[in-house]
Amino acid sequence: MSQSPQPSQAGATEAAPAGFAARAASIVSERPTLALTGILAVLVLVTGLIEPNYLSVSGARNTLLQAAPLGILAGAQTILMLTGGIDLSVTMVATGSAYVAANQSPEGAVIAILLGIVVGLAVGSANGVGVAVFRVNPLIMTLAMSGILLGLFTAWAQTILQGSTQMGPFIKLIGGGSFLGNRIPYSVVVWALIAGGLIWLLRRTGWGRLLYAIGDNEIAVRLAGVRVWQVRITAYIVAGVLGSISGILLGGRTGAVDLQLANAFLLPSVAAAVIGGTSIFGGVGGYAGTILGALILSVLNSMLTFLNVGQAIQQVVYGTIVLALAWGYAGLTRRA
Amino acid sequence: MTTVRSAGVAVWRAGLARHSWSLGVWLLLSALLVWYATLIPVFGQFQITSISKNSLPLVYLAIGQAIIVIAGGIDLSLGALLLLTNALAARFMDDQPFAMVLFIAIILIAGLGVLNALVGYIISVSGVPDIVVTLATGYIWSGFALWILPSPGGGTAPEFRWLFTGAQSGIGGTYVMPILMMMVPAILVFLLSRHTRIGLSIYAIGSDSVAARLAGLDVRRAKVSSYAIGGAMAALAGLATVALTGTGDPRFSVGANATLNSVAAVVLGGVALVGGTGLVLGAVAAGVILIMLNPILSAMGIDPNNAQIIQGMLIAGVMMVGGLVTLLRERSA
Repeated sequence: MSQSPQPSQAGATEAAPAGFAARAASIVSERPTLALTGILAVLVLVTGLIEPNYLSVSGARNTLLQAAPLGILAGAQTILMLTGGIDLSVTMVATGSAYVAANQSPEGAVIAILLGIVVGLAVGSANGVGVAVFRVNPLIMTLAMSGILLGLFTAWAQTILQGSTQMGPFIKLIGGGSFLGNRIPYSVVVWALIAGGLIWLLRRTGWGRLLYAIGDNEIAVRLAGVRVWQVRITAYIVAGVLGSISGILLGGRTGAVDLQLANAFLLPSVAAAVIGGTSIFGGVGGYAGTILGALILSVLNSMLTFLNVGQAIQQVVYGTIVLALAWGYAGLTRRA
Repeated sequence: MTTVRSAGVAVWRAGLARHSWSLGVWLLLSALLVWYATLIPVFGQFQITSISKNSLPLVYLAIGQAIIVIAGGIDLSLGALLLLTNALAARFMDDQPFAMVLFIAIILIAGLGVLNALVGYIISVSGVPDIVVTLATGYIWSGFALWILPSPGGGTAPEFRWLFTGAQSGIGGTYVMPILMMMVPAILVFLLSRHTRIGLSIYAIGSDSVAARLAGLDVRRAKVSSYAIGGAMAALAGLATVALTGTGDPRFSVGANATLNSVAAVVLGGVALVGGTGLVLGAVAAGVILIMLNPILSAMGIDPNNAQIIQGMLIAGVMMVGGLVTLLRERSA
């Protein structure tokens, strides 16, 4: 890991490039988002080389359509990981919310979306109580919750949620439609609003600072007089709602809903946050990095699809690149 | 003489108190067995054989996960390693004589041990959290599994199926082989973890890796060893799967579910995710319980979807009670 991440060794003298390399390295390690942006740019260019049509408005639109639900799910992971938690039930929340929204679509978009979000509120509260009050390990609590939800929705699909599995036209428009001459997807607008909100919450509000503080040193925060359990519960509720929104957007994009809808997004949602520099142990990170992480994974996905190498090699390459990125990031930030 | 004996009793009592959770899980397993026996009209060899052989894959994964978690890590790629072994075994054991099949099995166990040791080494060198590295390697291994066996298929030798299931056809048979195949690795790994230098250092690094390093332990070696054992156990789980089903199935979701069940078994078995505590044997009992819930609930006339809900609630409920107990203990202390 002593190598410079920048190709700056090709200088004339011995001392100057070393100095430049060190400076470049320190700049990059202080601002890891720069490195992430660079990786994103490289990936976009490589994908463009593989499929020249990718470097176009429609290519960008397709990637953003993929990235928006993932980015929102990864937002849920980010705020929980900041507190030292994680949510493995977030994709089942997304699926369940989409299922409810599709089922209620005949009742109108507003009711469908609201009832969909109720799923996230309820599950988030239950997760929060389990983790914050009963001190269940978040991994186990949300894992068990995910199993419960899968069972519940499989049973409900035959009973109380029988009927429509099609999203209404408004949700389809929000999830998959675009405006300005089919250029900008509506889901990206939703994502941008959520992103702005999350970044503001994390950087400018007491609640956001408490998330970092709890992840850093929970005991100190408690001794300082903060009701840690309340902060934790609200974090899980926010995560649940984000899961719901993501699921509804995803359902709107695909049009029809099934119980596998968001399954494939669980590991990428964690990976996007980790690649973006949020520590899984808590206290370090932010949403800006996660956005880049979600974009990187989406571009990577497009690239692997264009390569047309088959599912097996796709998984191998995907895993390898995620590992390499996480490793590179750890190497960069550890030196700082 | 009396002082020696009372000291011995005190040690035993302390041990019992410390491992009361593991003991409780075994008692729960016994109670469930008795209850199951009263639920169905005929309870005999067939049911015991079926439960013990069906639990083999999860029990192996739980043993591997337990060792890794005790060392302070977590391995989300164990299910993918199971898939990889399952795919390799089904592809290369098909139509081979028993001796060749055994040879392949041994190679796979050793190979996967080395492979996962490498993952442990990467975690140790890179400083990337276990959960992230194994998440990524899980993708890689399941990709390889799919590459080796693009669609379900392959096979193995009848004698090899007998080894794990007690019947060459994989159906029926006696419970001697499955129980033997479950308990021998379980007890071996248990003894290794409690009575050898490397086992104790695995507990030590899981409990406090800084203190372990300052005490002169080779933290990296203990970490890598725990991952090696985990990989070998995942290979055994994959071999048991091929013996049980007689075929290979490379689907990603199979591996993901197996991983999640292994984590659930470990935690239910009293191995805390913070590391350094718990017993391998507790995870073994919890693994059997998780498998046994299905026949019990179906014997009670509950449909499989609800069984999943109950399983999830059981895990969450048990952990909540555990959390509440520690909370009350802290308050009173």
